[in-house]
Amino acid sequence: MSFVLTINGQEKEFAQRPGSLSALLSELKINEATVVAEVNGQIVERKDFSTTRFEEGARIELVRFVGGG
Amino acid sequence: MSNAAEKKLLRIACREFESRLFVGTGKFASNELMAQAIEASGAQMVTVALRRVDIDNENDNMLAAIDRKKYLLLPNTSGARDGEEAVRLSRLARVASGINWVKLEVTPDPHYLLPDGEETLKAARILVKDGFVVLPYINADPILARKLQDAGCATVMPLGSPIGSNQGLATRAAIEIIIRQATVPVVVDAGIGAPSHAAEAMEMGADAVLVNTAIASAQDPVRMARAFKMAVEAGRIAFETGLAPKSAAAQASSPLTGFLRD
Repeated sequence: MSFVLTINGQEKEFAQRPGSLSALLSELKINEATVVAEVNGQIVERKDFSTTRFEEGARIELVRFVGGG
Repeated sequence: MSNAAEKKLLRIACREFESRLFVGTGKFASNELMAQAIEASGAQMVTVALRRVDIDNENDNMLAAIDRKKYLLLPNTSGARDGEEAVRLSRLARVASGINWVKLEVTPDPHYLLPDGEETLKAARILVKDGFVVLPYINADPILARKLQDAGCATVMPLGSPIGSNQGLATRAAIEIIIRQATVPVVVDAGIGAPSHAAEAMEMGADAVLVNTAIASAQDPVRMARAFKMAVEAGRIAFETGLAPKSAAAQASSPLTGFLRD
């Protein structure tokens, strides 16, 4: 059974539920020190990444700083 | 600020800055070039934007190229189409940067990227209440500038001309009124395309300028950053010193006596 999350507006299927936000980021090969996350519209502090879990269908936003004026 | 002439340092909220040039970090060909240009500019504040991570490709960590001990990071809310989005971006930026400063911009129209004053004011009130140091990007509207100042914003940032247009101070007359009225620093942002534009803003009494495109898109961004640094310093010194008055007729510089014909 696959597990679906909406990440940055895109539906993404996982073979199994990632254990935490940290686990999700490592599966996506994203360095967690460089991102900020929202889960279902709620900001998650970086210190809480490893304890943040989510339900099927959760909406996750992952943002980071880029060059800008 | 009316009494800025006696002050050497720029003070925003509780921080002081020696440099009156803020630099944007967009559009640089590489992070290395960006870092070198920032260094050459002498800036102590640099702006950054927040965007979604690309989950299918490797993401570049531009923050690693910015020495956070030397430069205050000023996240912007670019991309926000209304006040609500700007507030959301500000809160994300606060978590990402670890500081509560934000350059508030709300630009619903992608063609001219002109700021929506009503939504900006709405967001500014929420953010000030939420403890942010708010630096709002606005059209050169003196009434709006005053409302934002009264709402507790740390600066006002009127545009010279549309973002990235390099047209210079198309709004000069209105910026002069904003400067005359302001009790918070006035930072001229957007449209500054040449060092002479930056010097002009500083001569008028702007407290600082923000430059991105004109440096990042120059053939040699590092040398152009230096040119802007010099222009901002020159303009500031000229303002502090006081420009000589203009007159309609010539005022001879050489003596008007002792001509050979006399």
